[in-house]
Amino acid sequence: MGPPAPPLHLANSLASPMHLETSLSQLQDLPRNVGHAIRFESARLTQAAGILLRLPQEVIAQAIVILQRFWTGPDGGNPLEQDAKDAAAAAMYISAKPSGTPVSAKQILTVFAYLASLRGDYAKAQPANNDSQTAELHFTQGQYEVARDRLYKVESEILRVLGFQTHVALPYTLCVNYLQTLEVFQSIGGSKVAKRAIAHLNSALLSPQLLYLTHQPSALATAAIYLAAREVDVKLPEVEWWEVFDVDREELGFLVVGLTSLEGFASECKQAFSHQVIQMTAEDLRLEMEQQELVQEAA
Amino acid sequence: MLRVPGPVVDDLDGVCLISNQRHAARLPPTLYNATLCLAPSSIPRALFAAFKTASSTPTNPRSPTTAAASPSTPRPAPGSSAARAPAPIPQPPSSAPGPSASSQLDVADQLTTARATLWNRRYTRREPPDIHLHPTHVGTLSVADRTDSNISVRSLGGGRKIATMDKRHPSSFQQLEKLGEGTYATVFKGRNGQTGAFVALKEIHLDSEEGTPSTAIREISLMKELKHENIVSLYDVIHTENKLMLVFEYMDKDLKKYMDSYQSPTGGPRGALDAPTIKSFMWQLLRGIAFCHENRVLHRDLKPQNLLINTQGQLKLADFGLARAFGIPVNTFSNEVVTLWYRAPDVLLGSRTYNTSIDIWSAGCIMAEMFTGRPLFPGTTNEDQLLKIFRLMGTPSERSWPGIASFPEYKTTWPVYATQELRNILPQVDGLGLQLLGQMLQLRPEMRCSAQQALAHPWFQEYNARAQQQQAQSMGGMGAGLAGQMGGFR
Repeated sequence: MGPPAPPLHLANSLASPMHLETSLSQLQDLPRNVGHAIRFESARLTQAAGILLRLPQEVIAQAIVILQRFWTGPDGGNPLEQDAKDAAAAAMYISAKPSGTPVSAKQILTVFAYLASLRGDYAKAQPANNDSQTAELHFTQGQYEVARDRLYKVESEILRVLGFQTHVALPYTLCVNYLQTLEVFQSIGGSKVAKRAIAHLNSALLSPQLLYLTHQPSALATAAIYLAAREVDVKLPEVEWWEVFDVDREELGFLVVGLTSLEGFASECKQAFSHQVIQMTAEDLRLEMEQQELVQEAA
Repeated sequence: MLRVPGPVVDDLDGVCLISNQRHAARLPPTLYNATLCLAPSSIPRALFAAFKTASSTPTNPRSPTTAAASPSTPRPAPGSSAARAPAPIPQPPSSAPGPSASSQLDVADQLTTARATLWNRRYTRREPPDIHLHPTHVGTLSVADRTDSNISVRSLGGGRKIATMDKRHPSSFQQLEKLGEGTYATVFKGRNGQTGAFVALKEIHLDSEEGTPSTAIREISLMKELKHENIVSLYDVIHTENKLMLVFEYMDKDLKKYMDSYQSPTGGPRGALDAPTIKSFMWQLLRGIAFCHENRVLHRDLKPQNLLINTQGQLKLADFGLARAFGIPVNTFSNEVVTLWYRAPDVLLGSRTYNTSIDIWSAGCIMAEMFTGRPLFPGTTNEDQLLKIFRLMGTPSERSWPGIASFPEYKTTWPVYATQELRNILPQVDGLGLQLLGQMLQLRPEMRCSAQQALAHPWFQEYNARAQQQQAQSMGGMGAGLAGQMGGFR
């Protein structure tokens, strides 16, 4: 008999190379950088909405992974057909609904409407303190029903594309567990390492390399710890400790590079789209691309 | 390079079947029309192989994709001499014996398209319109990964390899009589149109309150991972615009109905089962629970109605609508109505940190019920349920259960009951059985045995012996790691 298989729910089913090469930007008329930007932006939107909805990070992370799965594969969602902001809202809804912290369709729709009004600058989000602001975001019954029906439609579309593969194994608890095993908390700066590692895991959700779709949570946790310990300058065992957590040197190296490159990607994304907003609806995106074509032809 | 153009052709019947025509919409309209004109039955499977062979040859003079999908040059009429392969296709160096690639490609040229028929030189002198069709990206149409309205078991497996099954279309299940109706689903008996086998069709009600019910999301996402002989199999999910239907393996009745209709050969009380049957059912129940727990899934709603029995005497766990993978902060049951009778005391006390032991409590209640034919703790309210439990197990105190006072539902006004002997209430259970039951029905969750421990209990000695024997056999025989595979027990 072979080694016992790990419990099903500690691992994720990963995207195959075929899935990755047939996703989003690879297939359609969408320029590659626009595809990456939309993925990045919709994940960022989901994270922001999750924070406003006061959802636990596990639920938010699950929503982002569901969204990334939706954008992936030959049958994956196409931002030219499916509003990216609707997909993000539906992913959030799917993730929160069966969890311990369900949110209503109305809460989701309100928060996403508010975030849409910020036009990408989510750092500006703040608790509403005047009535005029909330009044703007108030749906009439009719508007609400239309928006809700669309949410349900996108929800079932996502579930169909995912084949109901909504379970997501996350690296957070594993990360803490590994840190304890490595006795990092005993050392000076131990909790700093932990915070830094968790921060890396959160950033990795936005990775254009789709790290959560291509690597198991154990590998993500290990790489985050490795990188965090280097940054904080905390000594880890001299031996090849990552092998204990079923991660080989090659995968660890790849992930560490992936994690460190993220900042560059984010600022590049920010710079490239500094003069404009990343279009989060299919129609705006199409208009934008047509305009760019015209500009290019003129040039 | 375009990889395998075969699927473009192979997929045709799929294109016709897809209800929302998602994929069709992505094809250039002209190509879509052209491909639809091909009668699917006229396309031999060998063609697919022929394309593969041909496309793997780098010196192939003409892209097979353009040959199949882009008749930008006037296509010769079928059967005419020009329809033969225009250039000999070099054989791949290591090609297996069999029909040569070029002769297989002849078949390809016999395919007809709308264009070939409409602008056939035999019938018209008009020039074909100057339309250039571009080959579509093959990935969009590849069969193995396509997700259409009908999610096949293939795609249910995620990254895991699962034996492929025939693609099913909703209409290929014939809906028979209604088997039962729940709050969120109606279950019908169904028949597979192709094989004639019975299935259970669980039609999920899609309401306007929450879209796709969370119970359905949980059930599907968990059950497709849980493949075990004591867990009912989810064969397929049919997901269309306004309908969500789960196709399960067919089981004859649930344990509740089984007990109601059971007449003991030894003439016991109505509803009570005989001892060998109970032992077999408990063994299977605990194996199903153990498998769930090993895979970090709590069932959370075990009751006789959710245990299904087939004619071979197999028992399987069903209805995972309240199940969840652990690690997720666990919700209270407030908006999810579960039968109280099988609910563990720690849950009744308002615990939010319960674990696998809640399923063991339910299993204990079910075991007792099989012996007596009556539910062990038929409470009417949360409070009444607790008192019914205490009347038998004794009222817990801070001394017998440290920390009980901190539970939300703890009351100092509970009447103080003394602990009863199980054997006085269940005289029909043998000594070992009572011992096992006592280990499962412990008030304190941490005192309850695990499913694995229960299975190792001497009460199951014969089953364990048989399991070991079969394990030895399977390891000696094929070494295929089939230790867990054992037939049903009667």
